Amino acid sequence: MTVTPEAAYTVIFYLIAAVAVVLAVAVVTARRLLRAAIFLMGVLFMSAGLYVLLDAPFLAGIQVLVYVGGIVVLIVFAVMLTHSEALQMDNPPVRRKVLASLAAAAFLLMTGGVFSTTEFYALRDGVPPADSTRAIGMSLLDAGPAGYVLPFEVVSLLLLAAVIGGIVVARKVPPPAQPFTSGGDMPGEADFQRPRSQRDGARQARSLADKPPVAPDRSPVPPAQPVSQRDVQSGGGAR
Amino acid sequence: MNDFLAAHAPTATAWLVLGAILFATGLYGVLSRRNAVGILMAVELMLNSAALNFVIFNKFVAPVAVDGQVMAIFAIAVAAAEAVVAMAIFVALFRHRATVDVNRMDSMKD
Repeated sequence: MTVTPEAAYTVIFYLIAAVAVVLAVAVVTARRLLRAAIFLMGVLFMSAGLYVLLDAPFLAGIQVLVYVGGIVVLIVFAVMLTHSEALQMDNPPVRRKVLASLAAAAFLLMTGGVFSTTEFYALRDGVPPADSTRAIGMSLLDAGPAGYVLPFEVVSLLLLAAVIGGIVVARKVPPPAQPFTSGGDMPGEADFQRPRSQRDGARQARSLADKPPVAPDRSPVPPAQPVSQRDVQSGGGAR
Repeated sequence: MNDFLAAHAPTATAWLVLGAILFATGLYGVLSRRNAVGILMAVELMLNSAALNFVIFNKFVAPVAVDGQVMAIFAIAVAAAEAVVAMAIFVALFRHRATVDVNRMDSMKD
């Protein structure tokens, strides 16, 4: 007996769906977080398979690249970097388990009721795009009314901000008290890296330099000379 | 057998119920976990099912265009950014408090 593609589609869908649901339950109930991360990887792989079934092969590739290759690796790193014995066996109390399952069941009942009483049909007639990858690329960089070039650029900004934010938040040495200092790389910032005594001394010297210097015999020095000296010292900068 | 299976091809409702089950599982994880990294995993599960729903609606409601798939790409990008920031916060938190137990993250409640 030969299997028709339609029959194979049904079998593959229910197979992948069952495996995905079992793995998802394992993700949220596994007591060891590293195992939960591996189960999460399984769920995300199954989702990639579901994308293929939904005629979205490009999305399946993106899913494997970004989710499995990036996010799961990040989560594994987070598990290992925040390893603590107290939370090694994360076993929630029964009361919280019951409440959480009640909330999840209520959500499932509500959405399931809505889905089963709603009829879904294609809203617009027409032929589906032959090559969905090509269609996604055209639509992402289309500046017209149906295009997504502005969200595309906004997402690139978001990712840049996330990268910089991640580095700033997670870096080892806390930045000095001054906001937005790069730890002495910028001119004038090195002062914050010095010990407090030297810093105060430097400030005192600077405040003295602003006033006309007083000679030891308490006779004021002619004002023209210190001004020209200061100009020479600060590189003759405009004041 | 072939005819039976072909007649029972997954409908839009079956697909959407699958997405809802995955989302509800993630919801359970968010509400029951104590470890912040476990909560992050459950949130990723929920985001993944949301992206799946976008693609499901794209196939069954608006198959002419690929708007749902584009939205799913945006959801994946946002999930990646969220994971980066969350991991940075957890690492910084662990350095200061030596724990990622969310029950003890209540210093802003006082």
